[in-house]
Amino acid sequence: MANVLPDFIPPDVRARLKDIALTARFAVGGHGFGLHSSRSRGAGLEFAQYRAYEPGDELRQVDWKLYARSDRYFVREAERDSPLTVWILVDATASMTQADAARPDWSRLDAAKALAACAIELALRQGDRFGLAVLGGDGLRVHAAGAGPRQRDRCLLALQATAARGNWPAESALQLLWERVAAGSLVLWLGDGFDDAGVRLAERFAATRREVVGVRILTVGERDFPFRGGYRFRDPESGEEVLGDGDAIRAGFLERFGAARVALTARLAASGIRQVEYVLDEAPDLPLRRLFATRGAGAHPETA
Amino acid sequence: MNLALLLPAALAALAAVLLPLLIHFARRSERRPTDFAALRWLQAQARPKRNVRFDEWLLLTLRLLLVAALALLLARPVLFGAPDTTPWVVAAPGVAAETLRTAGVPDDAERRWLAPGFPEASEAPPSGRLPVGSLLRELDATLPAHAALTVLVPEVIDGVDAERPVLSRTVDWRIVPAASETVDAGKTPAAAIPTLVVRHAPDRAPALRYLRAASEAWRSDAGKGADGTTPPTPAAIDIADAARPLPADARLLAWLAPGPLPAVVRDWIEAGGTALLDARTEFPGIEAGTPRWRDADGDVLVRGIALGRGQALQWTRALTPAEMPELLEADFPQRLRTLLTSASPAPARAAAEAHAPLAGAEPWPETPRELAPRLVLLIAALFAIERWFAGSARRRAPG
Repeated sequence: MANVLPDFIPPDVRARLKDIALTARFAVGGHGFGLHSSRSRGAGLEFAQYRAYEPGDELRQVDWKLYARSDRYFVREAERDSPLTVWILVDATASMTQADAARPDWSRLDAAKALAACAIELALRQGDRFGLAVLGGDGLRVHAAGAGPRQRDRCLLALQATAARGNWPAESALQLLWERVAAGSLVLWLGDGFDDAGVRLAERFAATRREVVGVRILTVGERDFPFRGGYRFRDPESGEEVLGDGDAIRAGFLERFGAARVALTARLAASGIRQVEYVLDEAPDLPLRRLFATRGAGAHPETA
Repeated sequence: MNLALLLPAALAALAAVLLPLLIHFARRSERRPTDFAALRWLQAQARPKRNVRFDEWLLLTLRLLLVAALALLLARPVLFGAPDTTPWVVAAPGVAAETLRTAGVPDDAERRWLAPGFPEASEAPPSGRLPVGSLLRELDATLPAHAALTVLVPEVIDGVDAERPVLSRTVDWRIVPAASETVDAGKTPAAAIPTLVVRHAPDRAPALRYLRAASEAWRSDAGKGADGTTPPTPAAIDIADAARPLPADARLLAWLAPGPLPAVVRDWIEAGGTALLDARTEFPGIEAGTPRWRDADGDVLVRGIALGRGQALQWTRALTPAEMPELLEADFPQRLRTLLTSASPAPARAAAEAHAPLAGAEPWPETPRELAPRLVLLIAALFAIERWFAGSARRRAPG
């Protein structure tokens, strides 16, 4: 094999992944057997309802105790667990190239790739279908949903070839995404949240019966602003520049940016989107743990 | 105890502290380009902040200290009021080195030779005749007022001057046996008989007899040594024609030829020779020479000038008894020798017991202690630390 399959997941993180399960609150699985609750009724552990006996039902499904009480035949039905489709949306605009001076080889995009690889690994383990969509200066690249190790390898190779450049693609270029990401799937959005179009896309996904969870990747510089001395700050997407002395502008930036972070989280939460922040000096499994640590863990959307 | 500077003007070098300040300030003002996506929450400063800020305070402080210490070193700091009262033991030349090392004095005493620069006892003993009295006075003036001084001298000191030293302190004057190798120094070495080189024109031959006679007289004087033996004497006179070159070891020259002095002879005088010129030798400048020998009437017989390292003397009259009756007098050889050679050395030997220094001179003003050696050590240490910090700072900040 010419290409060596990239390994984005550090070993210690991979070991911790086994505690995490990708779960969805609203999204439902399709047909087949899996781990996620679905609208299909059938055999399973979770009780759903009783219904009257119809000819053809298996006798062992008849609830005989209820028959003893009511003198009627009832069939006990359970919810059937079924597979889920997970879509991983990776932001690959130029702002994702930003890294911290202390760790220049760990950019936002590297973190997004690691998070995507973790999610793929989780989905593969659960038997879920997963797809990958990369949005950046090169437009939209979609790798259709599928299941199994070969799908994982395809996605990992696609991730490896991904480089961040340019701006968020135009609205018209996203048509394919709407076609592929079916209603009822779980959308994991990995990005920095600086592109308003990206946020709007997430909101529209959430509004159209896709469950969206987001990981907002921030650098240490954006969290702590550890710059001392004169700097020329440059926006990698627009190319704008701001001159400033780190000490002088730190307090104002932290205050304004902190407010913006809270506002974005609140805005997404209003659309039913769970979003957690991930700072580059944290372990890559931490945001997934915050999102999916316990089944149905909607209670703590953001505990940064 | 107070600090003083011998060269306060050197503190102007403190202006060099601007250098490290500038270095650190310049690094401060540069703008490092940085990618920053959250730019819209970043507000440019309304006006650049101009208050003075510096990078790497620790390194800057070290460099400032280093420059300040260097400036202080240039200003030659000295310390008054902290006299070093370490007792001193000095040994005059002629004392055995072993005696100096084992002299019964406190352990922390400085043991030195009484020689220029006061070398340590571990160094080779000084040799030759040294001005012991002068060195003693120098040491007395240099040492702090309360430092005890012990002087080890042989029974006979060589190199004293005419006055018993009067020092500002009472000296422990210990007379010890002389080292064995200096026992033979009990005699004044006999003054060597000067060899007179005569270069003459043919018509000056009649004058040669007087010079030859004088030279003979010098030799017979030396033969009458203290012990009565006649030491071997070299040929004391070398008479030749004026064209003959001078021997390499010639010291005294009688030039008996009229006319200008050859340049070779003039160069020889400048190189350290003593020449006695004929009355009719032409030598510019010698007419203004100082009188060196007057006759009984006070008329000048010989005048002379210094020339380079040597001297040129000139008879004022022809060397004939008619012109100069002194040629025939009995003390002519002795007077000629005195004229040509320097006076015999002053007596410089004294019995140590009789030459013990007297106390009672005014105490000398305190010699301040030089701080330069310690300051140099401090500067070296500061420099090493500065280099270390600078290196580690570069390692911390890659690129």
